[in-house]
Amino acid sequence: MSAHIKILRQVLSKYSSPMTLNYPSGVNPDKKYSQIPEGLRGFIERDKEKCIGCRACYMVCSGRATKYFDVGDKRTIQVFHFRCTYCAHCEEGCPEEAIKMTKNFELTVTDRNDPKAYVNTELDMLTCKNCGKVFTPVKLEKRAFERLSDKINPRVKDVVIADFKKGEGYCMDCRRSRGVMMDAHTKKHVWLEVV
Amino acid sequence: MGIINRARIYSPWLYHMHCGGCNGCDIETLAALAPRFDAERFGIQLVASPRHADILVTTGCVPKQFIPMVKRVYEQVPDPKVVVAVGGCACGGSLFYDEDPENYAILGSADLLIPVDVYVPGCAPKPEQIINGIVQGILKLAEKGAKKDAKQ
Repeated sequence: MSAHIKILRQVLSKYSSPMTLNYPSGVNPDKKYSQIPEGLRGFIERDKEKCIGCRACYMVCSGRATKYFDVGDKRTIQVFHFRCTYCAHCEEGCPEEAIKMTKNFELTVTDRNDPKAYVNTELDMLTCKNCGKVFTPVKLEKRAFERLSDKINPRVKDVVIADFKKGEGYCMDCRRSRGVMMDAHTKKHVWLEVV
Repeated sequence: MGIINRARIYSPWLYHMHCGGCNGCDIETLAALAPRFDAERFGIQLVASPRHADILVTTGCVPKQFIPMVKRVYEQVPDPKVVVAVGGCACGGSLFYDEDPENYAILGSADLLIPVDVYVPGCAPKPEQIINGIVQGILKLAEKGAKKDAKQ
């Protein structure tokens, strides 16, 4: 019988202390929040210098929170926190690791157009030398060339890079139509060997 | 500040309306009112009828079949009233809503239908965030109450 009472006392002692977590201060008075779990996913933070404007985050966004606008010679990539589901697909899919989920989760706004609810990244775009069309971000072209140049077959590397340099600054359509004048063709190396 | 307005701010009563969505925000809202986070120390109390409430908390996106009920509940809350939209669906439509192609069953966020005063985004928001939102709502309630007093 006395053992039973001992167990009961131990159980009840847990409930005697206050269960409420104060906010804002929590159990620890020096911290603002009572508990933040290790794996908590909060608002998105995008590194402006790392971002190349490839729209991979727009493609994988499950809540359609990420959008992009091409206005003039600027591309704006925008995340709307109201629609974000914090799935971290964009963090996973970003090829440059520019997106990071912070632990900051606190946001209350009284207006839908409050700038706090948006994350905007502006990027410069390239203009075509021939037709004047705005077609791709400057950083994207640069980075794509860097990435691809490692994977080119070493046998034809010099030819391909030289051809690429000829077409630099031209948009997709102009590159295709002016391919003959540039003396650049995808199968040039094959012909070179035959001749 | 009039005595009625002061009493209203010290103890705002809250009505919780679940429109659509996945129920995640409802669980978090109830957690915010339960003893662990204890919103009752601010005088916030959950009531069973919108006719008793000062603050209307909406969660989830609005399905088209639910439009008349949302309007009716909003009209039943006595003036001055504050609407707090909790969660990504109530704020911006989130997963369930898209402009193009339009969803045949879902209207979208709550602010397309009724005026929303405070937005609490998150999927789902933490109870602390909801308490923060409701406290912001109380500040709005004070403004609206003062305006109503000035009119009378």
